[in-house]
Amino acid sequence: MEGTPTLDVRGLVKEFPGVKALKGVDFDVRAGEVHCLLGPNGAGKSTLIKCVSGVVEPTGGEIFLGGEPLPVGDPAASLARGVATIYQELDLVDELTVAQSVFLAHEPRRGPFLDLDKMSRETTALLTRLGHEGIAPRAKIGSLRPAAQQIVSIARALSHDVRLLIMDEPSAILDDGEIETLFEVVRRLTADGVAVVYITHRLDEIRRIGNRVTVLSDGRTAATGLPAGTPTDKLVELMVGRAVERLYPERPTGHGDVVLEVRGLRRLPEVRSVSLELRAGEVVGLGGLVGAGRTELLRLIYGLDQPDEGEVYVDGTRLPPDRADRAIEAGLGFAPEDRKSQGLLLDWSLTKNVSLADLGRFQRGLLNVRAERSAAEEHLRALQTVPDDPDRIVRELSGGNQQKVVLARWLLRRCRVLLLDEPTRGVDVATKAELYRVITDLAAEGLAVLVVSSELEELMGICTRILVMREGELVFEIEGSRATEQELLRYAVVPTDTEDFVEEVR
Amino acid sequence: MSLRRLMIAMAAAALLAFGAAACADDDDDGGGGSNAADTASQEESGTPASSGDGGPVTIVASVPPTDHGWLGAISKNAEEAADQFDDVDFRLLEAADSDSQAQQIEQVISDKPDALVVLPQDGEALTPVAQKAENAGIPVINVDRLFSAPDAATATILGDNYQIGVSAADYIGEELNCKGKVVEIQGLAGISVTEERTKGFTDELKKVCPDGGVEIVAKQPGDFNPDTGLKVMENILQAQDQIDAVYTHDDDMAQGVVQAIRNAGREDEMFLTGVGGSQDAMEQIEEGGLYRATFLYNPSMAASAVNMARLIALGEGFSELVPPEVPRQVIVPAATVTQENVEEYKEYAFN
Amino acid sequence: MTAGESGAPAAAIKGAGAQRRLGGFALQEYALVIVVVLLFVAGAILKPDSFPTWDNVRNMLTQASVVGVLAMGMTFVIATSGIDLSVGSVLAAAGMFGGILVDPEGSTLVFIVGTLAFATLLGTVNAISISYGRVVPFIATLAMFSIARGIALLLNDKLPVSLLDLNGGSFGDPAAFSLLWFGTGRILGIPISVYVFLGITLGAWVLLNRTRYGRFVVAVGGNREAARIAGVPVRRTIFTVYVLMGVLVGVAAVLLCARLGSASPVSGNLYELDAIGAVVIGGTSLAGGRASIVGTFLGVLTFALIFSLMTQLDLSTEVQQVVKGAIVLGAVLLQRPEARL
Repeated sequence: MEGTPTLDVRGLVKEFPGVKALKGVDFDVRAGEVHCLLGPNGAGKSTLIKCVSGVVEPTGGEIFLGGEPLPVGDPAASLARGVATIYQELDLVDELTVAQSVFLAHEPRRGPFLDLDKMSRETTALLTRLGHEGIAPRAKIGSLRPAAQQIVSIARALSHDVRLLIMDEPSAILDDGEIETLFEVVRRLTADGVAVVYITHRLDEIRRIGNRVTVLSDGRTAATGLPAGTPTDKLVELMVGRAVERLYPERPTGHGDVVLEVRGLRRLPEVRSVSLELRAGEVVGLGGLVGAGRTELLRLIYGLDQPDEGEVYVDGTRLPPDRADRAIEAGLGFAPEDRKSQGLLLDWSLTKNVSLADLGRFQRGLLNVRAERSAAEEHLRALQTVPDDPDRIVRELSGGNQQKVVLARWLLRRCRVLLLDEPTRGVDVATKAELYRVITDLAAEGLAVLVVSSELEELMGICTRILVMREGELVFEIEGSRATEQELLRYAVVPTDTEDFVEEVR
Repeated sequence: MSLRRLMIAMAAAALLAFGAAACADDDDDGGGGSNAADTASQEESGTPASSGDGGPVTIVASVPPTDHGWLGAISKNAEEAADQFDDVDFRLLEAADSDSQAQQIEQVISDKPDALVVLPQDGEALTPVAQKAENAGIPVINVDRLFSAPDAATATILGDNYQIGVSAADYIGEELNCKGKVVEIQGLAGISVTEERTKGFTDELKKVCPDGGVEIVAKQPGDFNPDTGLKVMENILQAQDQIDAVYTHDDDMAQGVVQAIRNAGREDEMFLTGVGGSQDAMEQIEEGGLYRATFLYNPSMAASAVNMARLIALGEGFSELVPPEVPRQVIVPAATVTQENVEEYKEYAFN
Repeated sequence: MTAGESGAPAAAIKGAGAQRRLGGFALQEYALVIVVVLLFVAGAILKPDSFPTWDNVRNMLTQASVVGVLAMGMTFVIATSGIDLSVGSVLAAAGMFGGILVDPEGSTLVFIVGTLAFATLLGTVNAISISYGRVVPFIATLAMFSIARGIALLLNDKLPVSLLDLNGGSFGDPAAFSLLWFGTGRILGIPISVYVFLGITLGAWVLLNRTRYGRFVVAVGGNREAARIAGVPVRRTIFTVYVLMGVLVGVAAVLLCARLGSASPVSGNLYELDAIGAVVIGGTSLAGGRASIVGTFLGVLTFALIFSLMTQLDLSTEVQQVVKGAIVLGAVLLQRPEARL
């Protein structure tokens, strides 16, 4: 893997009006390498890859592709020279078929007509190259799971001659099994000599798939070319610019009374029959694959969906099913998986988002907007939300801070049981640490927390107990301090496919 | 949509089209090869293709939406006239707008009635479908709003909107002694009824008062309904210090105009004329005061139209004419109704 | 774009966003104020003797009252990302219902109560079909548009009902609290219908901005699922906006009949478009989630000014249509981009 690097970025500078996004970045990627790009929000990762893909024109510095200078600010030129980008929010259209999506804007033609046969054949060929010949070229994008959609996205990138593949947090929408499949695909590509830039917040992934790591911080290269095995603490320190205490705080022990009790909850086909108990002061993790029914379980407990059978008790009192408002009154709070489309009203101010679950508190006849605002501000500050100006619009905040707004809502409501669905998805490491602290602090104050997460490391880091769900049932329970990734994965995965999906994890 | 689906859809459409064509009357193909189709349609509709033999005649009347008292009177008059005859099978269709009226008439054509009486929402828009009916051998009697082609109807019976404008100009010019400011509140902008009434008025005014002593200071559409009339008149009252006469295109609409004048307390300043002959208008004319006159052609023309339709269908004519025929065009005169002669016209008032 | 990382450009946008919000707020709400002022100035210049007078202002506000009341209710409906196409027809039907109750004899009170009740009833039918029947608002209210118009025509065999007896005084000076008094009566020189309009505007503002209910309404339109998860009673909220609309249609019907001196089955024609237009150019988004009573109020004024000015200038219909369309387009373009959708 010696010789001219596929990508060579030297002293890249990018200034926007009022802000210097990149202040001189040096970075290179070799053929057949997976080079991970790490950094907190605002560090300049997305600006950097946009310069390389031509969407943004740098103010200074140089970019070389395969030794040749890359014409800047020209997406078509980058594409023509073999730079392809897979964004986190896949830019696919539900109604198009796989083949149509793969060849969008450069369909093979026969005279004035589309050569549909060729499209179909070549699509299958590309998918085979990725090990996914099972995906039908005629299938509609909307009918595929996110993991499969992502593969289609990669196939589209490959339909051009790609030398450099940039992947922006691809594992955010995948569960552990699917991530491993993705890694397989990446390994095939690198074996072909493709260079891969892999942006992620997940440090364990760097160890699993990466060759080298570059850490960006505040528009500069904090370190580049580090080996993938660099210890976590060092990476975090480079990102944040200072030594950070452990990523995971003290594990809560949870010895309080049973606050939430679930008996035989069932809603076919996702949830078969689940019973569990939650005590005050506990953080209970719910692991498993996507499709195991975890989100559906939370929704049933919270009263968003109607169960076929089963009961939910809070402090011994039964909750009426399918009544989220009663659940809230009883002290439940829910932070949904997709915070943007389900958790928040993006065009509203922070204040209004935070107060929405408990407006009654501020209404004596009319709403006391001043009291509302200061209460919201208080809780936003307590969570160290940045910015904490309660008049700002939620859309402007970063993912991690948006999550804090959601949590602030439930703090304001003084809820007693928190149901969190993938709370740290799409959140940078530094903010993750803050969120972990918040969760464990809340537990220490007596809340009971049920956390769904696809990051096993995270569950192992903060949970009192971990439950594993598989195909609608709870199949395993273990104390957080004694859990191992292997064990959790083994129970999460459907037995027949074990060979294909699970690889020995260090 | 895949190619297969496209083909199926086209085949279905083709089937429908052929089916419709087969069921429709195709007289203009000539007698020859269409006998089978003729008999088929006869059996379907169950009515004789034409009756020169004095049997029961089917008459279908198509009128626009009855959003107005005058139109309501038309419908009622037509129905009452048809009731008087034993040998008339009568059906009244009310459409929602020009397009649906055209569609309704298209469907009626396939039923092959003996005659079709049409008061089109818009004469120009419905001319093609009327021509189609004529081509299919169905005589069309055009009422009130004129079609734009002569071959679209066998006979027309019109009120003369232009004449109404003329009568109004005569009346107002005389009352004002050819000196004063006039406001015109028109009907629905853009349709022939309105244009004619305006044109008749302005043309006649020039003739009757050539020295320009009568000035039209405002001309706004009132859409033939009272609340628009109200709003528009309110604004005009604001803009004009002195108004001597108001010429409105419609009695119903005029009620709103009258109210605006009353609310502003300016009834003594001017007088008002309407069109149509509504009960309210007649009463107010009788009382005297603001409402001085109305001009009307009688909604009973609908009854006349039904009579004419029957005669045409039976193959008869007006016995007064030699030889007996149904004249191609009948123009019903516009009458000026004022306090002096309101008694005579009250029986025709629509209510 | 990564979900988690906003990056430096976002920081730039954040700065500009705050500024745009402030400046944008200024531009959006005030854009319409500018339009209103410009129209008034234009009128003052073109018709100096008649336009800039108290009499004319009174006149315009009175004319604006009926559609204005409708527009206030429509703001709530549109804020939930719904729509009500039936308001004009229900207005006519309600007026006719009240009218036949007092024909040939009756009291103002009976008329008002009857009209309000009938309008509320029809509004409730809309509410039920939309919130419980889950019929799309466009379709449900389109059906009611047709049904109500039919009812209006049927109630008195297509004829209007005269209400001039509910007067108790002379025309220019009706007795207090008689029906015609609501149309033309005045207190301190300001017409009653204007008081009603302004009162309802104030009430609407308070309801939207200073009560839980108002917050719920905008939440439902902004993001129904997120609202539900946060505990907003979605179904109940949607139900009530249409009932509320019904009540306000009843009020508008009373005001119109009072001024007309009669209940007419063909009145209210296309009023829904005027109401919706006023709401939309006022900045309330048709997609729901953002609403402004001040904006609606200014929108109503804008349309009233346009109509009054053009009628007084005696512009022909064709010219009026072009001018009106141009002004509306101009008003919308002046608003900030997000507000336009």
